[in-house]
Amino acid sequence: MIEEDRKICVDIGSTWTKAAMFNLSHDRFSVETRAVMATTTDHLPEGVYGVLHHLMPGHDWHSLESTPVPVHFASSAKGGLNVAVVGLVPEMTLQIARLAAFSAGARICAAYPYRLTRSCIAAIEQARPDILLLCGGTDGGNERYVTENARAIAGSAFCGTVVYAGNNQAVDHVSDLLSERDLRVTENLMPDFGRLNIEPVRETIRQVFLERIISGKGLDELVRRFKTQPVPTPLAVLNLVEAIGNHVAGWDNFAMIDMGGATTDFYSFCEAYYPDSGTILKGIVEPTLKRTVEGDLGMRVSAASAFETARELLLANLEGSEQSLEIMSAYIDRLAANTSHLPADLAEQQFDQLLASACVYHSLMRHAGTIEEVYTAKGPVWAQSGKDLRRVNRIIGTGGFLAAMGRAGDALEMPVAPAVKSDKIPLLPKDFEYFSDSDYVLPLLGCLAAKYPQQSAATAVSYLTSLHHNEEQVKEFSHREFTHA
Amino acid sequence: MTPVNIVLGVIGFDCHSVGNKILEAFFTEAGFKVTNLGVMVSQEEFISAAIETDARAILVSSLYGHGEIDCAGLREKCIEKGLEEILLYVGGNLVVGKTAFAEVEEKFLKMGYDRVFGPDCSLEKVVELLNEDLDSRPKGND
Repeated sequence: MIEEDRKICVDIGSTWTKAAMFNLSHDRFSVETRAVMATTTDHLPEGVYGVLHHLMPGHDWHSLESTPVPVHFASSAKGGLNVAVVGLVPEMTLQIARLAAFSAGARICAAYPYRLTRSCIAAIEQARPDILLLCGGTDGGNERYVTENARAIAGSAFCGTVVYAGNNQAVDHVSDLLSERDLRVTENLMPDFGRLNIEPVRETIRQVFLERIISGKGLDELVRRFKTQPVPTPLAVLNLVEAIGNHVAGWDNFAMIDMGGATTDFYSFCEAYYPDSGTILKGIVEPTLKRTVEGDLGMRVSAASAFETARELLLANLEGSEQSLEIMSAYIDRLAANTSHLPADLAEQQFDQLLASACVYHSLMRHAGTIEEVYTAKGPVWAQSGKDLRRVNRIIGTGGFLAAMGRAGDALEMPVAPAVKSDKIPLLPKDFEYFSDSDYVLPLLGCLAAKYPQQSAATAVSYLTSLHHNEEQVKEFSHREFTHA
Repeated sequence: MTPVNIVLGVIGFDCHSVGNKILEAFFTEAGFKVTNLGVMVSQEEFISAAIETDARAILVSSLYGHGEIDCAGLREKCIEKGLEEILLYVGGNLVVGKTAFAEVEEKFLKMGYDRVFGPDCSLEKVVELLNEDLDSRPKGND
């Protein structure tokens, strides 16, 4: 007999397989037991059965009998699929394509506007993205660029999936040109100028994502056994963010930062533009639910690139401390050599903190829009581009490092102003409360968010630790439970 | 036959929106697929919209008297962006003061606009001219 009130969620990360058993009572879940073990990369089900055995030792998980508790699972698929986006005008279709790919849980490895030149094609061949998202032109609009780009792709050595989401009038031409490829045609992501239509592209990428995750390493076995499809981990988290924004009172203007070893993902749930705020908007109105992924910002695998990106900021932050950029650089080299390294002393802890602050700073600056004062014949006017985060009043920190910081009672400092003064003022959250996912349940709860949005959202919020009110609960700084998987 | 795409908008920091709505309705009625960018439109936005929609004409309005500064350079930017064949129309209260229309027209024609209209032009006439101009021009922006 299946116990419907209990759910098991498993998150198969690149390094760790994490699991929890949740119990549904009334309007929310509670965590009953949890387990974690190293991901068995050769054959993923082994690690999954391992954590399941920890959760319910009485059941023989290898047997083909029906499972006693429904199992939902998510897989990160090496940190997400790599997508190359090809659009037309940089701030229009190309920008929308970026937003769509991010919101499908992807990482963007290359982005090209206008025409794909030989050097673009060479770069794509080298980057070997899983998906190439080709778009451009409104429906009935420009056809030339997408057809020429389709021809260039057809003549290239790129052999991944092509998702076409451009001008619908060019579909036949593009299909003919790419008849030898795995081509998925979906609706135009900008059918009319300035109108976003992200959902069909997102769904198509998600579908490709699933096929790719399942096709290797034994996940098909889990699909058959548990009679459920896996969710790509980044999408699970995005679903949860959306569920919180839609269902929990007081959580309609919030952001979340998920900092891992390889990427830093930033989520926001708020209106992008307030027409009453006396500013005019340049470009598109970004979606209420927005996700960006920074592949160069991370605590371990991407530590070296994050260090490079943040060099100036780190130099400023190290001023007055005993440490120097050179010593930190040596630490970064050690991390590159051993990505499962945990800080061994106070200095290394400080470096991790600095690196984390840098990842937060740059991911926030890239996610947020800007305003700029422009002088006109009628006096100064504010021109906004991108997303306005000024009304964000709650920020959640999750991911191995931020969860561990939360357990230690530390809130991460979020920048409220840019480090360098510029005419373009970033639209950053001004006044907000910081919450830590110190129990690190959000990625697991994300598995339930699509099916139980209200309950999983209520649960997620109840497990967060507000670090403004709970400062007395200082615990030992520990990476033991979950690391930067 | 697929309708011809055109882009419409009020350039610069001009907020005059009533005429803009009338133009949108009129040109749509006349069979064009109108992408109306509304008021306070920059040159870059006109061009982005024209590229994505494969427009064959950009119709620029200016009513607040700063048209000359706002409109200068649009033709060059279009050429720069590969829109060599696009038709550029401009109309409204293009300059401040009582300058003779012929003088205004000459000024804007020199800037590279194909047709220049005053505030009291007949829209039927504009549509007629636009159709003529489109017929005589190769469809070659994309």
